[in-house]
Amino acid sequence: MKISDLLHMSMSSLFKRKLRTILTVLGVVIGIASIVIMVSLGLGLNQQQMNMIEQYGGLKTITVTEGSSSGGNGSGDSSSSTDLSKKLTDDTVNLIKSMDHAAIVSPVLDFDMIIRTGAYTYQGYGANGYTLEALEDMKWKFSEGELPKEGDPLKFIYGNLILQEFNDASGDAVYYSTGEVPDIDLMKDPLFVIFDTEAYMSTQNPQDESPFDAGTVDDGSGGTAEPKTPPKKYIIPTAGVLYGDGPEDYKDYSYGVYCDIEPLIAQLKKVYRGKAIPGQPTKKNGQPYKELYYSSIYVKADDVENVKDLQTQIQNLGYEASSNTEWIEQTKKTSEQQQAMLGGIGAVALLVAAIGIANTMMMSIYERTKEIGIMKVLGCDLGDIRSLFLIEAALIGMIGGVVGDLLSLSVSCIINSVTGEKTSLIPVWLYLIGLGFAVFVGVAAGFFPSKRAMELSPLSAIKNE
Amino acid sequence: MKGCKTTMSDSVISVKQLYKIFLLGKEKVRALNGVSFDIEKGQFVAIVGTSGSGKSTLLNMLAGLEAPTKGTIRIAGENIEHYNERQLVKFRRNHVGFIFQSYNLMPTLDAVENVALPLTFRGMDKTIRERKALKALKLVGLQKYIKHRPTEMSGGQQQRVGIARALVLEPEIIFADEPTGNLDSVTTEEILKLMQDVVRKNKTTLVMVTHDNYLASFADRIIRIKDGKIINDEKREQFEKNE
Repeated sequence: MKISDLLHMSMSSLFKRKLRTILTVLGVVIGIASIVIMVSLGLGLNQQQMNMIEQYGGLKTITVTEGSSSGGNGSGDSSSSTDLSKKLTDDTVNLIKSMDHAAIVSPVLDFDMIIRTGAYTYQGYGANGYTLEALEDMKWKFSEGELPKEGDPLKFIYGNLILQEFNDASGDAVYYSTGEVPDIDLMKDPLFVIFDTEAYMSTQNPQDESPFDAGTVDDGSGGTAEPKTPPKKYIIPTAGVLYGDGPEDYKDYSYGVYCDIEPLIAQLKKVYRGKAIPGQPTKKNGQPYKELYYSSIYVKADDVENVKDLQTQIQNLGYEASSNTEWIEQTKKTSEQQQAMLGGIGAVALLVAAIGIANTMMMSIYERTKEIGIMKVLGCDLGDIRSLFLIEAALIGMIGGVVGDLLSLSVSCIINSVTGEKTSLIPVWLYLIGLGFAVFVGVAAGFFPSKRAMELSPLSAIKNE
Repeated sequence: MKGCKTTMSDSVISVKQLYKIFLLGKEKVRALNGVSFDIEKGQFVAIVGTSGSGKSTLLNMLAGLEAPTKGTIRIAGENIEHYNERQLVKFRRNHVGFIFQSYNLMPTLDAVENVALPLTFRGMDKTIRERKALKALKLVGLQKYIKHRPTEMSGGQQQRVGIARALVLEPEIIFADEPTGNLDSVTTEEILKLMQDVVRKNKTTLVMVTHDNYLASFADRIIRIKDGKIINDEKREQFEKNE
């Protein structure tokens, strides 16, 4: 028989038993829709978690710190470490740059500083210098200002919640006691930055008479070793303030201060002329090395898949490298488990639907025993008889799959509009799998009934009743 | 579609020493007990017997619906006694037409589609098979009912569709099992005359099974069966003389 004839006959026999067909299809619809929706919830959840990881430092970033062979590197400011082989230098940066899959490699220099403006003080920790390339790649949104440009003098970029960290004269954080951030315009107000925090502390603490005096700012010679003399202050302009949606919008940059590493190094060298920059290792006599050692190296892989590989390569060189891979893998594992569980619930529904199809097909075959017999007497090929019933079952599955997909789509839209975010995520492949699965279930459920139809005796047709 | 291998004689059906033995518990029932005959091409043969005589079993075996216990059946040049089901289906598709007592039309199909059904099984194009079906329907006088479904037709009309369906294949042999069993006497006569007429025109061999002597009298030859054995086999001239 021709395929078109087979299709036509199968469809007309489905159409003839409309109600039964509709009910059977309904079973498949519910089965497929529950699988697709359940998996979509799992996918949505996974996506949300990935977005969260992305927010907390990215999926592709690797942070490289110096090797542990020197010991005691944990705090990062051990200045007397003498093993320099695993320290991070420009050579290290270039070495990592030459590796496969390393898209962006930027040295990172952490530095301490204190900012004073008006009556407020900010005691910074973890201010970081990156290369411009890395800063650009962060794809930050600014609420004011923009990234510094190549060749600009040192400019700072502030996180959106930085003002919460400014203390008043008595040393209390304004925000945490009053709930309001200090009235500081980071873009316009002059911000006096003290790099030599150690010297500043020693002048501050013993005698607690507000020594701050904006008038003493000068660009004169470097700070002396005289402990009572306050260190010099520099006015560092603000390049921009990063965007945040209200005081609750925490991002990994929210409390940070960032800048271009090149002017930073120049500035630090100027500030600590003839002395060791804090955090840098020193020779036995207290003199700094000629080379600059970075706090860490920021590496970005070209693809999430390659993070692990790149991380291992770097670790093999003897450096410490950490990334979110473990976290991501853990998340993936969890979400896979969730999906399997959710999908399993849907699969039960589909199993019931499959039994429904098989039942319908068996009924249909019993009803049509005579018809099948006649067809055999008239010379219908056995394979064609089997095909007829298989096509019928597959059609039930296919219609159920299509309607089930449509149902999933609308349910997914409803879920997302109710929750207001992408809780349910249905990629195209999920629709295709849903449909394919429905057809497969139909064919599988129709297999034994169709075999049975094929084996029916033609004699039953010519029994005279 | 004529027999692939021509037989030595002109016979289109050749049955030799045919036995069919059923086992009912431990008892052997001989439905057919050594039957042999030949049927020539174009002959209208009636197989007559009471119920339980074995006539239906014989027809089923000729049509390849049942396998014999022993003996050979040669039809249209093919020995079908050892065919498997697949081969039998193919054999029927290519050589045999059927007319049933209860018409056995497909309730979902209209007259044309019903008649064209065996051609569909042959994989014939829709336009060609419908043209052939229309021709066959015209032959049985149903050109006005081509779009009617079986439920919208009388018994006689349904059987005409059945005859058209058997004819459309242009088979070598048509088997008919009590073709008028469900019809009134007037229609019965019409149908039998039609069958007689059509097979003569087309030179088709027709084997009809019946229990009714009057119906058998339309045939060219009557084979009487009793208890699985042929008790009488005569041509038209002979039995007309006897009456």
